[in-house]
Amino acid sequence: MTEPQDPENSTRRLPTVGPATSGGVLATDRSASGSTYEAAPAPEQPGGRAGRFWSGRRIPAALVALVVLGAAGILLYDIAAVRADHPAMQWRRSVADDLASRHLDDVWVLAGSALAAALGLWLLLLALTPGLRALLPMRRRHTGVRAGLDRTAAGLVLRDRAVEVAGVQSVRVKMSRRRATVRALSHFRELDEVRADLDSVLSTAVGELDLARPPGLSVHVRRPAKKG
Amino acid sequence: MIKTANRVLLGLAGLVLVAVGGAVLATGLGLDVPSWWPWDGTDDVLLSKADRTRWRDEGWWWPTVIAVLAVLVVLALWWFLAQLRRGRLAEVLVDSGDGEGALLRGRALEDALGDEAGALDGVSGAKVALTGRRTAPRARVRMLMEPHASPGLALRGLSEGALTHARTSAGLDELPAEVRMKAVKHRAERVN
Repeated sequence: MTEPQDPENSTRRLPTVGPATSGGVLATDRSASGSTYEAAPAPEQPGGRAGRFWSGRRIPAALVALVVLGAAGILLYDIAAVRADHPAMQWRRSVADDLASRHLDDVWVLAGSALAAALGLWLLLLALTPGLRALLPMRRRHTGVRAGLDRTAAGLVLRDRAVEVAGVQSVRVKMSRRRATVRALSHFRELDEVRADLDSVLSTAVGELDLARPPGLSVHVRRPAKKG
Repeated sequence: MIKTANRVLLGLAGLVLVAVGGAVLATGLGLDVPSWWPWDGTDDVLLSKADRTRWRDEGWWWPTVIAVLAVLVVLALWWFLAQLRRGRLAEVLVDSGDGEGALLRGRALEDALGDEAGALDGVSGAKVALTGRRTAPRARVRMLMEPHASPGLALRGLSEGALTHARTSAGLDELPAEVRMKAVKHRAERVN
């Protein structure tokens, strides 16, 4: 391991913030430092407003189309066959019998209608919401260019910047649509200093992401757990 | 266009399902239903024999049923096939300025754009597809970012470089583009 070490502090445990009792080996491990920044207001957009990306909803549309096609096609075929003096298919008789004999408080009717209503709500949700939640709209600097950054990619950029801060051992970034939560483990330097460095590095990185709505930033730094 | 159609049709299908399912559910659970409700109460059935055969002897009944079903089949088939079409442009009309146009193969412009975008700093690869009409094409760009690249800079490079070059070389007034960026998955490491 060739990790950079501060020669002065390499042999003794660093003072840390928080209620750390002196002497205890585990006590210093519990210390942590955190900060939270609200999202900055959306910057000026010379190329027009950057709205959400709207999904084409091709897959649900294809599925619904196939279901309608299948149902209408089979019914049409059977009706035409009966018109041409062939006997009706068995399923049509049993369906007609069921429809005419099962009362509305029958458990199958209730279950079926509940399922239909739930499916309908799901389709309405698909029709009305933009989808593509993983694609964060970027600022529109050039007219005619709409860009979106994958949420995982944005998280990776933040992680790459964060691990370059001295004293940071490893970083986990959780990227939501509004907020980036960065959890870093720091094995040397004062936690507050590391966190201050992380704050400045990460806010620069959030600017580099060039998102239309820059996410808020929440930074937590901890000591790594002692290995047994 | 297909995006709007998809959403309208999905919404319609959802509304029908919610209305029918909800109406049956409300009746089946024994809620008080108004008098115009299609079902009377928990003792009613979904579709009685009398209801089903009400118009069977009328001359217009079967032709109407068959026509409605046939229209439904054709519409559903069109809707399904429309999902499979990618709407990719085969050629772009280049205005050469002397009154005669020239045709540029869409693939050629796509490849040129993709190569230039892929050569940008911090971009490990790019795929471009042209859509729209041949007089007014639109570009769809997928970019894969390398580790440690800055998305903002890469986007600026694409807009001011590759997209502008493609627009001027094809003699287009504008080339609207939709760019989606992803990143190569990689481990965290320090760059010294």
